[in-house]
Amino acid sequence: MRQAGAYSGLLCGGVSGRTGPHSLPLARIKKIMKNSGEDVKMISGEAPIIFSKACELFIEELTRRSWIMAIQGKRRTLHKEDLASAVIATDIFDFLITLVSSSESHAVGGATNVMEVETIDCS
Amino acid sequence: MDQDVQDRALPIANVGRIMKQILPPSAKISKEGKQLMQECVTEFISFVTGEASDKCHKENRKTVNGDDICWALSSLGFDNYAEAIGRYLHIYRQGEREKINHTKKYENPQNQTQINRAPPPPLLLSRVENPPPTNQSG
Repeated sequence: MRQAGAYSGLLCGGVSGRTGPHSLPLARIKKIMKNSGEDVKMISGEAPIIFSKACELFIEELTRRSWIMAIQGKRRTLHKEDLASAVIATDIFDFLITLVSSSESHAVGGATNVMEVETIDCS
Repeated sequence: MDQDVQDRALPIANVGRIMKQILPPSAKISKEGKQLMQECVTEFISFVTGEASDKCHKENRKTVNGDDICWALSSLGFDNYAEAIGRYLHIYRQGEREKINHTKKYENPQNQTQINRAPPPPLLLSRVENPPPTNQSG
């Protein structure tokens, strides 16, 4: 009976048994969703799950584009300036320009990266 | 302050791991690079959620669901994400239906003896943090 209870618990308690472990914590994603606006009232159970997948795709794409920037700078370490350059060079990441600009204002060589962007056509 | 900010972002270890998986083995990532990615992905969640929530509001619905997020991704230019997520959502929902059927089967007293005879198949045990089910139909 304990065995059955444990089994049922796994089925009722979450989805990891079905869709495999998620690489990002769902509770944290849900919290961020809630904090995104006052009009976000209720969130279905599936929303954080598919968001974890969407976030993986986002991180992968931005990392890949940032790496191109690092390579062009003859470096093998990815720095935040590379992320900033990738954001500026990619249309769909426009919503992040304010974020990376405020971050880059404290970075050395920001202007150089901005100039480098002009030679790249990734969009 | 820094701790408070960290609590409102995705864990840097998870973000860093995903970044490493996409880069060549010899590549390195600076700590600042991981932190900025952390902030970017957190902003991504807020940005897409806001768009999805607006759609719900216009349609007089209170619950943001998976379809709303797919729609928002497509609306904001992340068309290839929306396609991949749509397939993912479909697979997830299939899994949910199978789970429900499976649970019903085990709820049947007639089948309870079967549990004793045949141990359940081994499941992948995960320490991934799962929120309690809060499905709201709206």
